[in-house]
Order: sequence, then structure tokens, then C-alpha cells
Amino acid sequence: MSDVLVELRGIVKTYHMGKEVVVPALQGVDLDISSGESVAIMGPSGSGKSTLMNVIGCLDVPDAGTYKLAGTEVGTLDDDALAAIRNKRIGFVFQTFNLLPRLNALENVELPLVYGGDGHRRRERALESLRLVGLGDRTNHRPSEMSGGQQQRVAIARALLNDPSLILADEPTGNLDSRSSAEILQIFQRLNDEGRTIVMVTHEPDVAEHTKRIVRMRDGRVHHDEPVAHRRRAEDELAAATVALATVGRARAATT
Amino acid sequence: MKFTDSFREGLRSIAVNKLRSSLTMLGVIIGVAAVIAMVAVGTGASKQVQDAILSLGSNLITITPRAMTTDTLRGAGSQSMNLTLEDMNAIRSQLGDQVLAIEAEQNAGAWQLTASGTNWNSRVTGVTTDYPIVRDWPVASGVFFGDDEIRIYQQVAVIGSVTAQKLFGDAEPVGQTLQLRQAFGGGSRASSARIISFKIVGVLEAKGATFGFNRDDQVLVPTTTAQRVLTGRTSSVNSIVIKATSADAMQQATRDVNEVLLSRHRIADPENADFTIQNQNDTLNALSSVSQTFTLLLGSIGGISLLVGGIGIMNIMLVSVSERTREIGIRKAVGGRRRDILSQFLIEAITLTGTGGVLGILLGWAITLAVKQIQQGIPIAITPGTVAVAVGVSVAIGIIFGLYPAMRASRLHPIEALRYE
Repeated sequence: MSDVLVELRGIVKTYHMGKEVVVPALQGVDLDISSGESVAIMGPSGSGKSTLMNVIGCLDVPDAGTYKLAGTEVGTLDDDALAAIRNKRIGFVFQTFNLLPRLNALENVELPLVYGGDGHRRRERALESLRLVGLGDRTNHRPSEMSGGQQQRVAIARALLNDPSLILADEPTGNLDSRSSAEILQIFQRLNDEGRTIVMVTHEPDVAEHTKRIVRMRDGRVHHDEPVAHRRRAEDELAAATVALATVGRARAATT
Repeated sequence: MKFTDSFREGLRSIAVNKLRSSLTMLGVIIGVAAVIAMVAVGTGASKQVQDAILSLGSNLITITPRAMTTDTLRGAGSQSMNLTLEDMNAIRSQLGDQVLAIEAEQNAGAWQLTASGTNWNSRVTGVTTDYPIVRDWPVASGVFFGDDEIRIYQQVAVIGSVTAQKLFGDAEPVGQTLQLRQAFGGGSRASSARIISFKIVGVLEAKGATFGFNRDDQVLVPTTTAQRVLTGRTSSVNSIVIKATSADAMQQATRDVNEVLLSRHRIADPENADFTIQNQNDTLNALSSVSQTFTLLLGSIGGISLLVGGIGIMNIMLVSVSERTREIGIRKAVGGRRRDILSQFLIEAITLTGTGGVLGILLGWAITLAVKQIQQGIPIAITPGTVAVAVGVSVAIGIIFGLYPAMRASRLHPIEALRYE
């Protein structure tokens, strides 16, 4: 728990929309995330939480401040080096899943290995990753042939493929019903239990309570940073939902 | 990203938009087919022209009297009558080894031929002994007349294969008698019908038609006979034809012939020469430069359609890039580098144009075959060079016109690409 994985100091990021409008998305963020943590970043829209996520994920570089990922200064790296970090050290999960519609589940999961250089055992590793999220039997389905929950699980399998040190999820349950959300959160919790670091952006408090620590953003700064007092377990909720369903089913059976 | 991955991606995205891809490809297909077919037809036509010239004999230097045009004297009547058999003999003796063979010709015009009760019209030309060597045209049966027949202007004839067929059918013409009647033009005494008998001594090999007229339909007689018996132009000949020993010897031979004739005709200033010397190689060069220009012209018409096809490729690749902005963002998010994206789109464009190129070659080949069917006898050939150039050009067009869209794709910012709706 002690090694610092993400170390942000005085991160500033300003967006220019056209010539006139200047959006100060991040105005000096200091944040440390240790290896093995599970963090939720919360905040109203426009608070800079998505920008922070993009900076942590090396999709964007800050205008000022320093960002060290596992001790490596990231701000000075060029595009190709950033791409390599995204490929090897970071796994992304997006709200809209962001799977390639033309590829089937297996090919979508393989994608990081296409760019990872190591083509060895590509297929087997992708299959293994799909099994980890419980989709070992859905390899040939295209995204359009799967439910939202399944698509998000494929996206998680893709994120896991190169065994990254950091998994970033941007509103991963935003487009899902509550049961699918619970399934996804269960996977994240399991991954965290196995020692992976998970950072999740969400605006739903009950989703955030599945993590161990909540960072609240406001006006481009960290406003509040506290551990979760009572961490919710997704598997309990799933079990409860199953029981509830069964109860409803029995009640229906009784009435008829 | 490995080449095979890029290639597979390229094929996949082509397969997804089948109609669009094939319409795009059509531009390249038509362009390549046009280049292939037009160049093939162009080279074929120029080869045909060359063959036709060479079929008149190779390494030839032709001397004709210069037309002396004055205010009152024009056309055939203006031709000076100053080339003689003595000129021919002088050239032969003075040029020596440079001359492989030499002959002098005198047109005797068109005559009506009668033999074994059959009529036919044909051209009659007076030629000398070396004719079969100069024109690369041996006799198929019988013999060609020699110096003795020429000296005593004997009435002997060698006839073309078509003439023989028309007059004698399948019977053997050699040894038969041929009667010439003045048909029209030609001689000076055309008013009264004259009948002149010739003995047929040989039949020429068949050569086929050249430049639209059949050269196998003719009668050859000794030049002296043509002069004295048929035309009455007792001293002059229409042309002297020299066959040089080699193509390399032709320049020198041409110069030497010029000197011999200038001194024989006592002309000090070459500008005033009363004869014209035509070097066959010069004619060939002039014609081949004409046909090269022609082929180039045809090829550039094809090239323009190829260019238009290339612009189509660029257009469709730009559409493809903006349609797949999100895909590019996803690829970048999972670690795709600029060059990965660049090569993916470039290979996609090259796959489009390369496939179009191959199909275009097949179409061009089909067109060439069709032209060959319609225009028989044209030696049309698709050379491996043309095919290589066509494939190379279509791949190059993929690179040139695919590069800009691919660069635009590779330079997209991952965040903006991911947000793109």
C-alpha cells in the first residue's frame, strides 16, 4: 500500500474553446494514489474530474505541474512514449464502452496487443481475459449483439489485457441498469481485492461508495479527500437482488 | 502494429463499405485499364508501321530525282530525268564494300495483262538484278532475271503471287507467256493499243498488304525493257535503291552517294542537287518519334483518368477518417501510436488502389483482346513493363492520395477523437 503510483503536484490544465472562451479545467491539483488503492473521483460537471482522469491516463498532458506515474515523470514524454504507457501501464474503461463495432469481442480485447508489439499468444491471452470477466462464451459476438453490461465487461477485459498497474474508469456504470452496474462494480472490487489500483470517475454517491476513498473535485481543485466509511460490496447487493427477484417470483407463483 | 494487422484492418474496412469501396476503386480500375489498353494499342500501331517499312527491305538508301518546281512545271512532269543506270553502276563501283546490293527502278504504270485467256490489271515496274536482295524478297519459283536480260532488254517478267493466282489459278506460271496491253496512263504512246508479249521466268514469294495496297499484285520486268519497250524513257530511272551492309554503315554510305552523284552531275553546291537521298533509318526514327508522341498522348489520357481516380481515393479516405474519428481515439487510448494509425489508413488506401490496379490490368487486358479481335493484324502486346508501371503507379497513387487523410487521422488528439460524435 505504501508505494505511490500516481503523484500529481500543482497540475494546471486550461482549455481554449475558440478564440475567446478559456476554460480553466484544472487549477493546481495535488493528489497521490498508492498502489492497490480504489479511488472514486466525484464532483459536479465542470469540476475538472474528467480532465483529471485524462491527465492521469496520459491521454492529455498538463499545462503546468508535475505528474509522476510509478516514479516516472510523464509530462516530458513525447506522443509515442505516452502511447506506450497507455498501452502497457494503463487500462481504460469508458462510459460509452468504446468498443470497435466491426470487431467481435475477442478482437476488441486483443486490440492492446496489436499495438503492444508482443503478438505472442495474443489469442489465448485475450480469451483468458474474457474468461476473467465471465464472457468466455461470447468471443464471436459483436458489440451490437451484446447487452450494455456485456459490452462493458468486454471493455474491462480489454483494459486488463496487458496487466496494467492502473485501471481508469470514466463513469463505467453511467449507461447501465442497476443490476449490470452491480456486476461491473463487483468485477472492479474483485480486481482491487487482487491488488490492482482502480480509479473511477462517477457522480453517483452509491457507486462511489464501492471504492475505498472518495476524492471530491470543485472548480478544478481537490475539494475533499476522505476514505469511505462503510464500503459497499457489490456481491451482497447482487445476492440481495437475486433473493428479491426470487421472492417476487414466489409471490407471483403464489397468487396464480 | 504489424503489417499483417494493418493489412487485415484495411481489407476489413473495405469489405464493410463494399459499394463505396468498389465505386472508389472503379476510378483506379478505369484509369489503369485506360493506360494499359492505350499504351498497348499505341505501341502496337507503331510496331505495325515499323514492320511495314522494314518489309520493304532493311538498311535502304533511296535516291530519287528532285522535283524541279517552276512557275509552269509542276507534278509528275516536273521530275527531272537525270538519274540513270550509269549512276547506279558508278555508285556500285565507287562505294564498294558499303553496298550490299543496289538496284534501279522505272515505273511503267498500269497495264492490262492477258494470259491463257484471262484478264487482269496490274502495275508494271522495271527493276534490276539485285531487286530480290535489296527488297529481301526472293522468288518462290523460277528465277529472277539477270544482267544478260537487262543488257539486251529482254521481254521477261517476274510476277507477284496474287497476279499469278489471278491469271493462272493453280497452274504453274513459269514459262508461260504474258501479254501486256496499255490500260491507262503510263506510257507516252497510249493512243493506240499495243500488245507486248513477255515470258514469265519467276514468281515472287507472297508478302501481304502494306499501307493498304497489295504488293503481291505486280509485274517486274528488266529496267531497260521498261525504259525502251514500255515507257520510252530510254535513259532515266525513277529511283535507285541501295541496301547498305549494316545499319551503322548507312550514314557514311549516304554521304558517299551524295558526293558521287554531285560530282557525276557536276553540281558544286549541294543545295542545288538535282536528286534527293532518303535514308530509311531516318524515316524510321522520324516515324518512331511520331508514334512515341502518339503513345505518350494516349497514355496521358489514361493518366488523367488515373489522377481523377486518385482524387476519388483521397476524397473517400477523408470521409473514412472523419467517420472513424472515434475509432482512432479508441485505438490511441489503448496504445496506438501515430505511425500505427498512419500506416493503417495508408495501407487501406494502398489496398484500395492496388486492388483497383490489378483489376484495371485485367480490364485493360480484356480491352486489348477486344481491340485485337476488331482490328486484326495489329500486333498489340501488353508488356511486363506496362503492367509493372501500372501496378507501381496505382500503389503510388494510394500512397500520394492516401497520405494526407492518413496524416490527418494520425494527428488527431485522443481526447477530441474520443469525444467525437
